[in-house]
Amino acid sequence: MTMVNITMNGQKVSAPAGSTILQAAKQAGIDIPTLCDHPALIPVGACRICVVEVKGQRTLITACTFPITEGLEIQTESEQVVKARKLILDLLFSERNHYCPYCEMSGDCELQNLGYRYGLDHFIYPTYTKGFPVDATRKYFLMDHNRCVLCGRCERACGDLVANHTLGLRNRGASSMIHADANVPFGQSTCVSCGTCLQVCPTGALCDKRSAYMGHDIQMEHIKSTCNQCSIGCGMEIVTRGGNVLRIVGDWDAAVNGGLLCKNGRFDPLYDERKRVTGPLLRRGGKLQQASWEDALKAVAERIGSANAKEIGVLTSSNATNEALYLLNQLFCKELKADNVGLLNDAAPKLFEKPQGALADIIKSDVILVAGCDPVKDQPVASFLIKHSIDKGARLIVVDGKDNGLAPFAYMNLEMANISKAIDIAERAQKPVVLYGAGVTEKAAGALKKLQGKAAFVSLEPGVNTRAAVSFGFNNGFKPSAVKVLYTLLGEQNIEGSDVLKKAGENAFVVVQASFVSPLTEQADVVLPMAIWSERAGSLTNTEGSVQKVNKAVEPSGEAKPDWEVISLLADKLGKKLGASLGEISARATQELK
Amino acid sequence: MAKVKVATDWLAGCAGCHMSLLDIDERIVKLLELVEITSSPVTDLKHPPKEGVTVGILEGAICNTHNIEVAKQMRERCQILIAVGDCATFGGIPAMRNLCGTDEALKRAYLDTETVVGGLIPDSDELGKPLEMVTGVGEVVKVDLFIPGCPPRADAFWYALTELLAGRVPVILPRELFTYD
Repeated sequence: MTMVNITMNGQKVSAPAGSTILQAAKQAGIDIPTLCDHPALIPVGACRICVVEVKGQRTLITACTFPITEGLEIQTESEQVVKARKLILDLLFSERNHYCPYCEMSGDCELQNLGYRYGLDHFIYPTYTKGFPVDATRKYFLMDHNRCVLCGRCERACGDLVANHTLGLRNRGASSMIHADANVPFGQSTCVSCGTCLQVCPTGALCDKRSAYMGHDIQMEHIKSTCNQCSIGCGMEIVTRGGNVLRIVGDWDAAVNGGLLCKNGRFDPLYDERKRVTGPLLRRGGKLQQASWEDALKAVAERIGSANAKEIGVLTSSNATNEALYLLNQLFCKELKADNVGLLNDAAPKLFEKPQGALADIIKSDVILVAGCDPVKDQPVASFLIKHSIDKGARLIVVDGKDNGLAPFAYMNLEMANISKAIDIAERAQKPVVLYGAGVTEKAAGALKKLQGKAAFVSLEPGVNTRAAVSFGFNNGFKPSAVKVLYTLLGEQNIEGSDVLKKAGENAFVVVQASFVSPLTEQADVVLPMAIWSERAGSLTNTEGSVQKVNKAVEPSGEAKPDWEVISLLADKLGKKLGASLGEISARATQELK
Repeated sequence: MAKVKVATDWLAGCAGCHMSLLDIDERIVKLLELVEITSSPVTDLKHPPKEGVTVGILEGAICNTHNIEVAKQMRERCQILIAVGDCATFGGIPAMRNLCGTDEALKRAYLDTETVVGGLIPDSDELGKPLEMVTGVGEVVKVDLFIPGCPPRADAFWYALTELLAGRVPVILPRELFTYD
């Protein structure tokens, strides 16, 4: 790496060639204030708060956009610079409503912090004279134009990061406005409610409806974890206060998603209104009644212990941690020798033994082949990466139905039977990527193998931890008819349980380990309450095979216990020792998944 | 040494800043050994004395013509004028009126309110005329020190007054006392 030497405030600094002044300053620990700049976004130099004095330059220049060259002499906080920044702040505060006390963001606002930093204690210019609209037409967050400073972060996040291009800036100067599509209400626009704009907004212009006015960042805890809503496994931070989850934000440091989240991951888990199972339930005299963990586990252990291996059936949701799936496999398959096990969702066909690509390949590709999966619906963050790649010039071929969410963006839409046409195109490409899901037929899967070595392959698994579930042998070989005792790890999954039970036979003893009340728990003989995503620790395997940690942010509701712990306790009751601590179980599960 | 004379008054405000001044607690005893509060909304004398005071403190925004008169009189009769609170510095809560306009605000308050029957917008010569724009005090008179905050921290009052008593005029408060919220 070529290093460039510069002087900043008299201090010698060297930074890699191509760095901007701002990046070089950050490395050297020199704080240059910013407002429109965001580390995840392409700098545009719109707000000019980062201006610095550079020797030999005619005017002050923006540190966020100016690349360093050998011998540059920079002053970041000189009298002239501070004067200019104060002027910029006075102008920023003079437009629209930047009056702090009744703003949601007060205390965490980047504009307010700049006001404090440069001692803005009154308005120099006459203040706002007109009210701007507040658009609350979206379910999860609202846009208050009165608080907007037109930095364009939201617009750039929407276009450059999510590649959704819903947001735009119209008009010029003081009449500029952020708008959606052809200036329609946000709720009626092409907005996918991923909330990336909400996360990058420096002021209170974009405001989360659920967690609004619930406190300042300093009063909150950020717990890094992994999203469990699909198989991508995006890095996220669970924001809590006083034992309550307030909101979810993307983790900018996460390798998989680089800070992006989708509606399903950022908002939906917090709007789940299903009733929780808060304590163990045991059917006594035909009625499901509250019971202690001891009694419930004893009842389960007795039935399982007295059944022979052929009579035991195990069904699991893919929405379970590696640890739980590992223990489920160890207990039922290894110890109890049951082989009638199944998964509650489909899995993508297994094309290769070894990984042939990663999600990161999507952005570098020139031809993307999407076969038998709909990431727009099921793995939205993958669809953002695909659309981003299309923006950069890649061609998309969708081999799926016409109503595939990516069909409108495709260069070519093909039926599964015509997959060979897509394969021909991919063969001629420089860096093709194949994304395949459970909808790929056996024949098509065979055809795709032709691209081995040429293309990067990433399966987009349905469900959540499907990859780990399949690794532990929970594929779809489940035969309900023979089952006398059915253990179901349902977890948080939403499923109509009736058909599973019908198939399991009239007299089967049904144990359901679940977080929410559902038709399946109501028909069960024993219900074991399970902690949800925010209440348990462990790890998840994403669709490309990375094992990622999930962390506990809040205490489980009622008597619920983490998924792995329930199985561990059951194993104890059955006299099987399967590992004492989470760390030990995690290590063994990870070892097996390799 | 003669006591330093201080006068306070409020404009379009909520009295919260005066309450915050009282929140300096027992330190007020020490303060009163050094200063004489000549006039304030809570003393018998309501207007700053003609012979003048050293420090004038104003809370509240400029909302109507009466506020302008009060602010101007305070300015004429004091040597150092302090604007305290977000209303006096920026316009504050009363400035929310600017978002809809004065006429609309008066109409909503006096005519359209759900409990009003046969409403009437007050229009007496005794009352100040509402202004089109609500502003901070700095828009109509020269202010020597701004102490923002809603209300300013009691420590901010204490800091500013003790600095003045020590013969120094603070320009901007130290960061830990300088807040808008």
